[in-house]
Amino acid sequence: MENTIVKNGIAIKARNISKTFQISEDSHNTVKHRLFNLFNPPRTKYVPALKNLSMEIMQGECIGLLGRNGCGKSTLVKLLAGVYPSDTGYVNIQGSTMLMNLGVGMSHELTARENVYVSGSVLGLKIKEIDAIFDEIISFAELEGFVDTKIKFFSSGMVARLGFSIAVKAGADIMFLDEIFAVGDAKFQEKAIKVFESSWIQGKTVVLVSHSMEVIRKYCNRAAFMRKGELVYFGDTEQAIDLYMKDNE
Amino acid sequence: MISKTLSSWYSGSNKLERLWLLAKIEFKLRYYENKLGLFWALLKPILDICIYYVVFNIIMQQGIPAFASYLFIGLILFNFFIESTSGTIAILNAKKYLYEYSNMNKLEIYISTLMSNVIGFTFNFIMFMVFYNFLEPQSIGLSIQNFWIVPIFANLFIMALGVSLILSNIYIIAKDITQIWQVFSTVLMFISPLFYKLSSFKAALPSFDYANPLAGIIINARRVMMQGLQPDYELMIFDYGYAFLFLFVGLILLNKLGSKAAEKL
Repeated sequence: MENTIVKNGIAIKARNISKTFQISEDSHNTVKHRLFNLFNPPRTKYVPALKNLSMEIMQGECIGLLGRNGCGKSTLVKLLAGVYPSDTGYVNIQGSTMLMNLGVGMSHELTARENVYVSGSVLGLKIKEIDAIFDEIISFAELEGFVDTKIKFFSSGMVARLGFSIAVKAGADIMFLDEIFAVGDAKFQEKAIKVFESSWIQGKTVVLVSHSMEVIRKYCNRAAFMRKGELVYFGDTEQAIDLYMKDNE
Repeated sequence: MISKTLSSWYSGSNKLERLWLLAKIEFKLRYYENKLGLFWALLKPILDICIYYVVFNIIMQQGIPAFASYLFIGLILFNFFIESTSGTIAILNAKKYLYEYSNMNKLEIYISTLMSNVIGFTFNFIMFMVFYNFLEPQSIGLSIQNFWIVPIFANLFIMALGVSLILSNIYIIAKDITQIWQVFSTVLMFISPLFYKLSSFKAALPSFDYANPLAGIIINARRVMMQGLQPDYELMIFDYGYAFLFLFVGLILLNKLGSKAAEKL
């Protein structure tokens, strides 16, 4: 099974995946509460976030994900990244994944240096490889004077820059970028976009979530349009953008 | 399912490096953040031993030979177990940053945390060796049987890993497992042969050396480290059985409940 996937160059294969969130209105999350309410189960609301969705993403593709707020984009991204389990069907992921949105996997109790090493290692790099790119990451993030400072003392912009830098320099096999072009000040954004355009995107599998049509149009060779937890369209970028624009009218 | 978890964890090249990196950082966070630092890790078992020595040897006069060493080896093993279980109940919450943004295998989080506890245990064990061989008047010195401590400790490690997996995954659905485990660990402390003479322990609590998974480990550790004897093989097999049973249940829970940690915690 795995061999055929590698041969075909599929990075992610999702078949009939769905996700329903159970939200209990009166949370019985202690043993005592559960014991006293054995015959009085908490009222549970079921929120279907994704409905029976299938998609294949090839290696090296940049896929755009479009849809209005609450249509299930972020849930889909988390399922495809292997962060959430799916209720039905399966997701096959070939390689390491990294999800970037406002935060990336960093601990506020650790210093910038430690976070770079931990994140790099989680993304599959060896210590020597991280040693080699360490200075680049720090200088790209413009954090030279704060290498051994715990990031809980950083401003939110500094944390976001560090996360973006790690992603740019270390990167996982499959990257999920959820509205990341809002990181840092104008100058950093310009720099980030430049790197993103120049080389970084090549050879990486990227799933891009953005409300900016310009960004989607520029980078994505295919795009998916979602509405109310369903995949309405997956294919040509322009067509997906048209559908999204119509949905917004 | 379990073999899949294990094989997916083992494949890949930087896993060991990553485990060691996470273990070192965990160790540093635990000890270097405080004023006393690593000194506290060394001081704590000594203080514990002083307290129990006064209570059980001076006040209660049990007359156990080499009682300070007897306590020492038992306590460091027991403390390793407690730190690796009580200390990891909320691990999936504390280490969320590691798995919330990537598909990292959660089992690595547990193993690295336990490895950092092994570093602490190693310091304590060296202290025990120094104490027993140079300061203990009733010491029998080094023995070839001492090497048995390696499989005995491996047994404890697997057991602690299993229990840690069980507790921390139950934590996802029932937070007050923390309080329940606190009480349970106190009970465990008093039904383990930590302070008592082995013969009175066996007389008072018959077959508890088999029923309590920690008892056999402590008994065997004393046999190989202080009495120059081979371990009690039957007890050892029993305790390995417990350890793998806990690990098995823990891995099932990790698959069933742990996969939902990112959304539930």
